Formats: sequence, C-alpha cells, structure tokens
Amino acid sequence: MATARANWKGFIKFGEVAFAVGLYTAASSSERIAFNTLNRATGNRVRREFVDSETGDRVERDEQVKGYEVENGDYVVLEPEEIAAAIPDSDKTLRIEAFIPCNEIDDVYLDKPYYLAPDKMGTDAFRLLRDGMRQAKVAALAQTVLFRRLRTVLIRPHGNGLIGTTLNFDYEVRSSQEAFDDLPDLKIEGEMLDLAKHIITTKKGSFDAKAFDDRYDAAVAELVKAKIEGRSLPKRKAPPPSKQSDLLQALRQSAGMKSPAKPKRASAKADAGDGPPKAKRPSRSKRAA
Amino acid sequence: MALRPYWKGYLKLSLVTCPVQMMPATSENEKVRFHTLNRATHNRVVSHYVDAVTGKEVKDEDEVKGYQRGEDDYIILEDEELENVALDSTKTIDIDVFSPRDSVEWIWLDTPYYLSPDDPVGQEAFSVIRDAMAAEDMVGISSLVISRRERAVMLEPRGKGIVLWTLRYGDEVRDEEAYFSGIDDAPSDSQVMPLIQQLIKKQTRHWDPKLVADPVQDKLLEIIEAKRKKTKRPTKAKSSEPKATPNNVINIMDALRKSVEAEDRPRKR
Repeated sequence: MATARANWKGFIKFGEVAFAVGLYTAASSSERIAFNTLNRATGNRVRREFVDSETGDRVERDEQVKGYEVENGDYVVLEPEEIAAAIPDSDKTLRIEAFIPCNEIDDVYLDKPYYLAPDKMGTDAFRLLRDGMRQAKVAALAQTVLFRRLRTVLIRPHGNGLIGTTLNFDYEVRSSQEAFDDLPDLKIEGEMLDLAKHIITTKKGSFDAKAFDDRYDAAVAELVKAKIEGRSLPKRKAPPPSKQSDLLQALRQSAGMKSPAKPKRASAKADAGDGPPKAKRPSRSKRAA
Repeated sequence: MALRPYWKGYLKLSLVTCPVQMMPATSENEKVRFHTLNRATHNRVVSHYVDAVTGKEVKDEDEVKGYQRGEDDYIILEDEELENVALDSTKTIDIDVFSPRDSVEWIWLDTPYYLSPDDPVGQEAFSVIRDAMAAEDMVGISSLVISRRERAVMLEPRGKGIVLWTLRYGDEVRDEEAYFSGIDDAPSDSQVMPLIQQLIKKQTRHWDPKLVADPVQDKLLEIIEAKRKKTKRPTKAKSSEPKATPNNVINIMDALRKSVEAEDRPRKR
C-alpha cells in the first residue's frame, strides 16, 4: 500500500485472524549540535577517547566488552551472543493480547510512534480491526521483537491507518502518583478558579508544529555578536513570583486584560519576526525592581 | 527519595507566576545496566577528552563551549554568558495558548516530564493554573529551552501535578498520507462488526503498568546469575506460538467466530 520501504514487515494477529502489515517510522528526532567543546587552554577542539580506568591505556572498540557489576568492582562479562540469547526468537507477529480503553492509558509510557499499513492482501482484516477499535474506543496491546529488542506496542486507529507506539517498560517510568505525592491537596474553587478559567478561554488556540520556530540559535548568534562587539547583554531577571496574598489581585488584573483580536496560534510566535531578539521583552518586573 | 530537579524556573499564566521544578518522567535506573570493560584487564573503560591537536588530556574544568564562526574559528562562550541568552523561555514557561486536550495528537508527544511547585509560596498559584486547565479540559501550549534548543511544550494536569511534554518539531513527523493513502476507505463489512465488537469486549482489560513488564530483563538476570555460578546457561527463550499465517479474506468471519468461542473457554494456566 505504502510506497516507502517498510522498516519492519510482519503480521498483526487478533484472535484467530491474522494479516500482513508493514511498519514505518512515523517520527524521527533531529539532532542538532549548537556548540563544539574546546580546550580552554589551547582553543583547539577536543575529541573523545576510551581508556582503561586503572591503567589509563587506550582501549579500542574491539577490545571493549559488556560487563554486569555483581559486587563492587566485580563483573560478569557477557558477549553479544549471550545478551541476544535473552531475547525470544522473532515470530514477526504483533499478537494482540488485550484491548485497553483509550481514556485509561497512561500516556507517559508512550515511546516512539510507527505507522502501520496493510500489506497487499490484508486490507479487509486491517480495516475491520481499525474500525472495530475506533467504535469501541480502545487501543490494542501486542508484544513482538522489533529491531532486535522485545517491545510492547500500543496500536491505535489513526485516520485511514493504524499507529503502533512502542511503550516504555514498567521499570522505566516513574509513577506520577509518587512524583506528586508530597504536594499538598489544594483544591482551588470559587472566584479564583472562575477567573483562571476565564483567562484560559481568552487564550484558546491550537498547537501548530509547522509554525513553531526554535529561536535558540538566533538568540545565541546575537549573544556572540554582542561579545565580539564588546557589548554586554543585560542580565536576565526572573519574574517575581506571585505572592499568595496578591494571587487574587493578579488573577483579577489578568482576567481584565483585553484579549487579542486575532485567534492565537502556537506559542512563541509573537516576536519571531526578522528583527534580532529583544534583549528583554517588556515585563512588569522592571517596575517592581 | 530526593532526586535533583532536571530544571528549575517559573510557570506563568498572564500576571500569575510561580517557581516550579521539573523531573524526567522516565528513568534508566532500574534497567539491567552493563558497563563497558577492557577485555584484557576486566577494568571499567571510561571516556575522557583529549586535545584534537596536541593529543593531551583535557581536564573537565578546561572544557568550554565554542561557537563556530568559521573554519577553525571559534568564539568561547562560558556557561554564565549563555545564561544571558535573550529568550524568556530559558527560565519561564509562559502559557500563552490553551487547546482542547484531544487536539494534540499522540504522535507529537516526545519526552514527558513531571512539573511541580518548587517553593511553598507558589503552591496556590500552581494549583490555580492546574485546576483551571482540568476544569476546562484544556492543555497549555508554551515553549521552553531544554538542552540548548527551544521546544514547543504541552502542559497537562495530572493528579496534584502537571505533566509537561516536549512536542516534536513540524519536520520530525512524517506525512501519514504517504503510508495511508492507498488504504481503501470503504466502510468495513457491517455483518462482521458485531463479532469484532464481541471479541474486543471479551479481551478488554483495565490499564495496568504490569501489562508492560519486560521478560527479557528477568532472563538477562538469570543468564548473569547462571554464568556467575558457572553452571549451564539457560536455554534460549523460545517463542511460544508458531508464526501466524495470514487468513484468507473469505474466512475472516469463521476465524472471528472461532476466536470468540476460544475466549469463552476457560483460560489455560
């Protein structure tokens, strides 16, 4: 179906029904290096070297092995074949083990998304599963060996197709409950909540990834220019935190502000024009200082 | 469990500001971790930096960031200087857009963090922002500099805290059309649908972190333990079921009936 080459080919199996699918990378992370690391003393670039922690000798790649620390400084050495033996044979099948109501899924587990599209003959079964899940508002859980790792994949209808997202394992995710356990149980009600809700409604908009710019490079270029010209940029000041006693006042003032006439697009667009980034955006902190 | 915050700064809604801290929601700490060893000595292998020209070791304190101006021409930037970069989003998450919770699709979600107040002074302001988003069923969209890049971020109320997601850049998500456009969009067979619904219902479970357990991790620990005791290695894990064979289009109905019947029988084990 898809013209691109699949990154993985296999089957989806639910109950006794199986059909062939291709799996395609849906999103890639672009790496970007803003800076190089230099040796301050010489101004030269630095490069990485691997050395023995005891002898200080260089250790080339083919002399490196993986070891698991059993006691302090005592290691069990494992060869790549031995590590691979822990991974089950790949049967190239995403076997659906359970369906999960979409509104129950903890999205913090989501790792990487892949498009799943039917391979020539499997279209009918593919559409049945897709439409069935959409109607029942569920996603499917399946496990398989992907790219030499055993992965749990969450499969969910997306447009005409399916998206399979690899999930982090249980031990890789911190529980949000534990993370927020220490916070006091503060429930905001009454005027404060109403004002904040009103502010939110005036800022209603949508996320537009295409319109978002990473302004960091431009800001660093400005910093460099200032340094070359011997100018110093003004020190950045932190905004003063709202005091508890002023909170209601701050909310009232915020809610009273005129909302912009045009619908808001995603963040950070307002001053992403051609001009150099402003050293300091207008802020109330000036008056407070 | 006092973990060091990954980032500290301010959360801001209009004129309301509070100090916040942020932690990654995922961690590699519990994973079976291997170290790199020197095969000859079994000592740990560590990486260090050497001067690319002189080949001499460069101490940590001599490492400095260089902004490339031309070939072999760098401007040195100290960390304190970088702190002054003219972007509010290095220190402040200013929420300027709110959007219905479902409007940001999963495919845009990159890395999750947990955001919480950093000082008792900010707890009430933090709670106001969190509760108002929850009451309106909205998420906040803002931007934040993380790892020297400015990222679009999404803030989602969760329990007593907020989950902050970095969102992917526009050019990082591939156009689904290229993959899905060939799929026939005729409605699927309405006669089979009730059977599918029956099967889905029978196999529907509640979400539980146990559903994402990792059998490989346990197997690895077994292998390590066996090797340590110098006993025989456990045999290779076998996949439990034979490879699936694709069904013919005609017998989907039969296969589904069988599936539903199989679900009705008491489970093995």
